[in-house]
Amino acid sequence: MRFVVVLDGTVTTVARQARALAAFLRDGLGDASVELAGVTEGGRGELGGVTERGELAGETLVFYADDGDKRRLVDLAPTRDVRLVKTTARRPDLMVDDLLALGAGAHSTGPGTLGGEIALILTAGGATGAELATRLACRTGGAVLTDALSIEVGPRELRGRRTVYSSHLRGRFALTTRPWCVSIDASWNDGPRSPSLKPALEHYVLSDTDETGGAQATPFEDIELVAAPSTDDLAESRFLVVAGYGAGSREATKRIAQAARRMGAGFGASRPVVMNAWAPLDRLIGVSGTRTAPVLCIVVGASGAPALSWGIERAGFIVAINPDDHAPIVRDSDALLLDDGVAVIEELAEIVAAQREQGGAAPTA
Amino acid sequence: MGMGGLNTEAIPSQMSDLRVLACFKATPDFEALREADWATAAAGGVETRYVRRVLNCFDESALELALRLSETAARRGVRAELGALSVGGRDVEPYLKTLVALGYERATRVPPEAAGGESEVAGGESGLDFAPGVVASIIAAYAQRVAHSDLVVLGWRSGPGDSGTVPFRVAEALGWPCLTQVTEVEPLSDDRLRVACVADDGPLRLTLRGPCVLAVGNAVVSHLRVPTLKDRLARRHRPIEVLAAADLGVDIAAQRHRETCLPTGFETIDRSRRGVVIEGQSPHDKAQTLFDSRLRDIMETL
Repeated sequence: MRFVVVLDGTVTTVARQARALAAFLRDGLGDASVELAGVTEGGRGELGGVTERGELAGETLVFYADDGDKRRLVDLAPTRDVRLVKTTARRPDLMVDDLLALGAGAHSTGPGTLGGEIALILTAGGATGAELATRLACRTGGAVLTDALSIEVGPRELRGRRTVYSSHLRGRFALTTRPWCVSIDASWNDGPRSPSLKPALEHYVLSDTDETGGAQATPFEDIELVAAPSTDDLAESRFLVVAGYGAGSREATKRIAQAARRMGAGFGASRPVVMNAWAPLDRLIGVSGTRTAPVLCIVVGASGAPALSWGIERAGFIVAINPDDHAPIVRDSDALLLDDGVAVIEELAEIVAAQREQGGAAPTA
Repeated sequence: MGMGGLNTEAIPSQMSDLRVLACFKATPDFEALREADWATAAAGGVETRYVRRVLNCFDESALELALRLSETAARRGVRAELGALSVGGRDVEPYLKTLVALGYERATRVPPEAAGGESEVAGGESGLDFAPGVVASIIAAYAQRVAHSDLVVLGWRSGPGDSGTVPFRVAEALGWPCLTQVTEVEPLSDDRLRVACVADDGPLRLTLRGPCVLAVGNAVVSHLRVPTLKDRLARRHRPIEVLAAADLGVDIAAQRHRETCLPTGFETIDRSRRGVVIEGQSPHDKAQTLFDSRLRDIMETL
C-alpha cells in the first residue's frame, strides 16, 4: 500500500497547492495514521512511511504543460520520489486518464507505473483537486472525500472530516473502498509558507511521460485569463470592516465602505450584499470568496452565517455591530454593539479620524 | 451580457436545438435554525423537517442563467430547449410550476426514494442528502435517456451534504468535461458557447464546443425571476412530470448500498468568543466606549 500526492503544475497555483498538501501531510493526519506521516516510524510503514533520511516515501505526481517548468515543479514536491506527466492544462478528465495509465486504479507493476496498490491519492484544495479526486474514485471504484479538514488512515478504512450543512457543522465520514481519493480543504492553503516537513534534499524523478499525444477535438478553445481585481488587500488586510445584509441598501453599504476607508481599514462584504450588487464581487468574504486573517475585524449588520464566519474566524479581535442580539454573530464576536450598524461605524470613523489628526493611532490596512 | 472577447461569426440561419437541462435542489433554510437545533446535531442529526425550503443559492443562479441563455440563443437564431429536474419530494413542485411558467418546457421531479417506500411527508427529507453518487446517477440517466441534453447546468454544491461532487460525477457518467464556478454563459451558435468561470488560478473565459456540465458558482445573476400572473395562468395546465428512478434504470436502494463515503456523525463547530456587550446611550457613546476600551490599543499594534 502506498500513497500518491497529485500536483497540478499546469496552473500558477502549484506552489500554493504544494505548501497546502505538505501542511496537510504534517498536521492533517490523525494519530492513527502515523505510519503515513512518519512521525514516529523511521522505516517504511504500511503506507510508505518515511525513508531513512526522514523524507516522506510516498510519491508525488506532477502534471505539467511546459517543459521549462519541470525543474521548478520537481522541487515543490513534498515527497522525495516524483513522477512527471506532461498533459493538457485545464482538463482534469484527461489527467485522470493519465493517472489510470500510471496504474493508480489497480495493482500495477512494471517500469513507468506507480507500482503496487495505491491506497491513498491526495489532491489539492479547489475545483481541480476535487474534480480529480471525484473522477478518479468514479473510475476506479474507490471512495472520494472532498474538502478534507483531516483524515485518519486505518488499515481498512479511511476516516475523515469536512464541513457540512453549509458550514454549520463538521461531518465525520468513513471511506470504505480503495483507492481513497481525498482532496483537502481550501483552509489548508493558509498553511505556513515553509512547512517544517523535512525538505527533501534531493528529489528522484522516477518517470516522465508525455500524454499530450492522441490529439482529440478539444472542448475548450480561445481560453482567455481575465485580469481580476486583486483580493490580496482583503487576504492580507490587518484591519477590516465587513458589511452584511443588515446594511439594508446599496447606499448604506457605500457609507460603511466610506467609513472603512476613513479609518484606513479594508472593506469586504457578505454574500447577500454582493449578490444584491451593493458591493462588487471581489469584495466577497467567506466560503465562496476570500478567507481573511485581520488583527481587527468590525462586522456591520451581518447575522454571522457560517459561510461568512469561515472567512473571518482567524481574526484577532471581532467587533459586531448589529441590532439583533439573537444573531449568531453575537456569539462569534469579542465585542458587541447592539445598534444600527451604519450610525455606529460612522461615529467610530469620526473618532478614529480625529484621533489620527491628533497624532494618535493611525492604522493602515 | 457584456461578455468580453466575443467572436462574431456566422450563426446558422435555420432553427437548431440546444437542449439544456438545469437541475436544482430545495434545501432547508439553515439560517432559520436556532443555535439549539445545531447543538443537538452531535447527538444524532439535525431536525430540519419543519424548516421552510429554499432553492439552493447556486442552483437558483443556474436556473436563471439557463433562462437567459435561451433568450440570447433565440435572438441569434438558435432554439434552446430548457428542461428542469429535481431529485426531491413534493415540496419541489411549486418550484417546478414556477419554472414552467417562466418558459421551461419540461419540469421533472424524481422522488428520492424507491417506489413504495417514498417518504412524501411535508418537507420530505430526501434521504439522499449524503448520497451524491445516487443523485448524480439519476441526473445523468435523465440527461441521457429522457432529455438528450447537450448541457447540464447546476449549482456547484448544495447542503446539507456539501460534497460538491455531483457535477463531476454527472460529467463522469456522461463522459463529458465539466466547468466549475461558472458565472456567465452566452451562446455563439448551436454547438458553441462562450463561458466565464473562476478557475483555481483566477477568472477566465473560454469557448466551449460540445456537451459539458456547467457547475454554477458566484454568478452575478443570483435571483430567479418571478413569473407574471399572465405567464402562470397561460401555463398552469402544463403537467409536472414525476418519474421514478427505476424508470431511468437507477435502483436507489442498490446504489445507496454502493456509496463508499459514508457519514458516521456530526460535530458542532465552536467559533464562539467572549462577546462583551458595549453599552452606551447613543451610537456615538458606544463607538467612543468601544474605541477607548479596546480599539485604541489594538489599533496601535496595526
